[in-house]
Amino acid sequence: MLFSIIQSEWYKLRKSKIIFIILAGPLVGLFTGLNSNIAAENGELNKWYFIFMMMTLTYALLFLPLVTGVLAGFICRYEHQEGGWKQLLSLPVTRGRVYMAKFILLMGLVFFIQLLFLASLYTAGLIKGVQDPFPMQIVWKSIFGGWIATFPLVALQLWMSMIWKSFAAPFTVNVIGTLPAILAVNSETFGPIYPWGQPFLMMYIGGGTDAVFFIPWEQVLGVVGGSFLIFFTGGLLYFKRKMV
Amino acid sequence: MNYMVETKGLSKRFGNETAVKNLELKIPKGEVYGFLGPNGAGKTTTIRMLLGLMKPTSGSIHIFNQDLTKEKISILKKVGSLVENPSYYPHLTAYENLEALRKILGVPKKRIYEVLETVRLTDVAHKKVKGYSLGMKQRLVIAASLLNEPQLLILDEPTNGLDPSGIIEIRDLIKRLPSEYGMTVLISSHLLSEIDQIATSVGIISRGKMIFQDTIETMREHAQIKISLKSSNSHRAYQSLLTKGKQVDYKDGLIYLDDQSDEDVAEVVNSLVHDGFSIYRVEEEKRSLEDIFLQMTSKEDVK
Amino acid sequence: MIRRLLQVDFMKMKRKGFWFLTFLGPFGVVALQMVNYGLRKDYLLQQSEDNWGHYLGNITVFTPLALVLGIVILTSFIASVENETNAWKQLLALPVSKLSVYLSKFTVLAGLLFVSSILLAVFTLSFGIFLNLGEQIPWIELLKDSFYPFFAGLPVLALHLWIATVSTNQGIPITVGVLGTILTYSSYVLPDWVIWKWPSLNNGWNEPVINVWLGIGIGLLLYIGGMLDFARRDVK
Repeated sequence: MLFSIIQSEWYKLRKSKIIFIILAGPLVGLFTGLNSNIAAENGELNKWYFIFMMMTLTYALLFLPLVTGVLAGFICRYEHQEGGWKQLLSLPVTRGRVYMAKFILLMGLVFFIQLLFLASLYTAGLIKGVQDPFPMQIVWKSIFGGWIATFPLVALQLWMSMIWKSFAAPFTVNVIGTLPAILAVNSETFGPIYPWGQPFLMMYIGGGTDAVFFIPWEQVLGVVGGSFLIFFTGGLLYFKRKMV
Repeated sequence: MNYMVETKGLSKRFGNETAVKNLELKIPKGEVYGFLGPNGAGKTTTIRMLLGLMKPTSGSIHIFNQDLTKEKISILKKVGSLVENPSYYPHLTAYENLEALRKILGVPKKRIYEVLETVRLTDVAHKKVKGYSLGMKQRLVIAASLLNEPQLLILDEPTNGLDPSGIIEIRDLIKRLPSEYGMTVLISSHLLSEIDQIATSVGIISRGKMIFQDTIETMREHAQIKISLKSSNSHRAYQSLLTKGKQVDYKDGLIYLDDQSDEDVAEVVNSLVHDGFSIYRVEEEKRSLEDIFLQMTSKEDVK
Repeated sequence: MIRRLLQVDFMKMKRKGFWFLTFLGPFGVVALQMVNYGLRKDYLLQQSEDNWGHYLGNITVFTPLALVLGIVILTSFIASVENETNAWKQLLALPVSKLSVYLSKFTVLAGLLFVSSILLAVFTLSFGIFLNLGEQIPWIELLKDSFYPFFAGLPVLALHLWIATVSTNQGIPITVGVLGTILTYSSYVLPDWVIWKWPSLNNGWNEPVINVWLGIGIGLLLYIGGMLDFARRDVK
């Protein structure tokens, strides 16, 4: 049941211009990767680390949080046009399942973008002629961690996109959350508790590498998990009561 | 003759598809011109071109005897329009929507109240249009099209979404416009019954081509009477009439006569009786406008 | 006619939050420094002899980003007001030229962004005085930092107005906006010809005013290009 809604959601999305958004991720990665001044780093550090740190800076701090909003806007676009919500919800589906389906599909797309970002790292390194061994384990940790960190942001953006017809309004909310992250991640007080800063903190390999993620479990569960619960429940409750 | 709207060789292509082909639209002053055709026949494309929203691929458009490409603005000052689905600003009230248009048109403020009264939206004038029913929205855009007291009113499917009483109301309004305000009206529809009740001239478009254009009376004349004849062994009777050089058709066990004067009918009946056929029925069949319309448009489909 | 169109455009902006966004942009930029200085004022004041200069430097980290994002959001909003019920066809069937409709939209947006710049100067000054950064207020620098990015950002505005008005799917201008934001954020590695770099006021000559003149010149060209394309297109 849930699976068939997801399939139908994907079917609607296939022919939209969503591919351009998905491709924007690796594009940003490649752009920053190729611009990283690898020659400046001639110490002991694995050169892959260096490129990856440069790439995640822009990608995880700005691109990833912002793109969740664009994807969420796309996934609600068809329903906002010409009474699409009415049509979708008068099918034999529950609202909870529709919401779940859209959320799962969004998370799937974000994961796909993360994989493409990984591919862009590898490509950038190859072009730059990096000889060092590829630190697969650490990079995976970063890719996966960054994905986990987008859970609350995707939930909030899905909520906002269900409220507003226009792309610009939920995007504004997204921007208001994302811009302060640039400052927040530098702060020891705000950084760990600011949801929009988490994608960066969970992807940036400068952090502690002993744990499963680069940040402590308490932070993953408390900040990422907590804000996810709030945003997801808020969105779900809103959607269940939404007048269509 | 002096036409309010006259197009010559008007064509519009989208890629390989020709939406409108060599259209010669002629709308005399003071008429309610019904622009009729099935969905997708090219009505809206034509109307968009008349309003300068789309540029024709070829051909010319003259409105008020002025060239649209050269004097678009001065023409549009005297035109009111409604194209396809209603356009409005949902976050503004009906009054504000009209005020936004009024500022551009430069007509006095009292016109807003007048047109709101005309379409009976005065009571809800200060409510946001977002909460209106489809019919109310449609009435609002009709009000908007009347704001500048246009000499030419172009309405694309204006009764879409209206309930029966709304349809009657708008129909009566449109009928009054030529006599009371000297307006010429172009109204498009895919429903013949709609056009039949208000139009004085008709243009029928099918697959982008004009297949009929004349007064509604002329069109009604096409709804000619046919005489059908039922006899024993109808098909043989039909053949015997053919050998005698009569203009007849045969369909589903009935013989149809093309000549319909009393003498002709009498002659045919006489000759059949003479040849030993029994005549069961002689009937007069009146073709409805709907039949003609369907026949005209389906004939085009075959090509 | 253009005056009437402007009045109408301002009317349509009612209840859509345009003025709020105009306020929010500069306020947000300064508010971030309020938090920054609120948390670690002593540390920040130690960083430099020139407290005002350092403070303005902190502000200008966010000005270009806020400007580019503000342009993306405002242009998309103004286009969706017409797109929502496809009111373009109603608007353009009125006795107005397409060129003046386009000019009016551009003027409204440029006006809002200019008001944002004024507010940025006011907020920056007020919080600077509140922080007690010294008697010597660097007026010239303050005004440059507040208004130069606006002029340097005109090409981005012209480009986005065009993209937003010709796209039925507003996801496209927003995506372009996200990419533009990334470019603005990475401006230090970009060559001087990239328009998204200009609001940061950096260039090879170290002469911010060059970005202002480039912004006005190229902005005008992009504006004309966008306007002509808008006029050429069939209305949907």
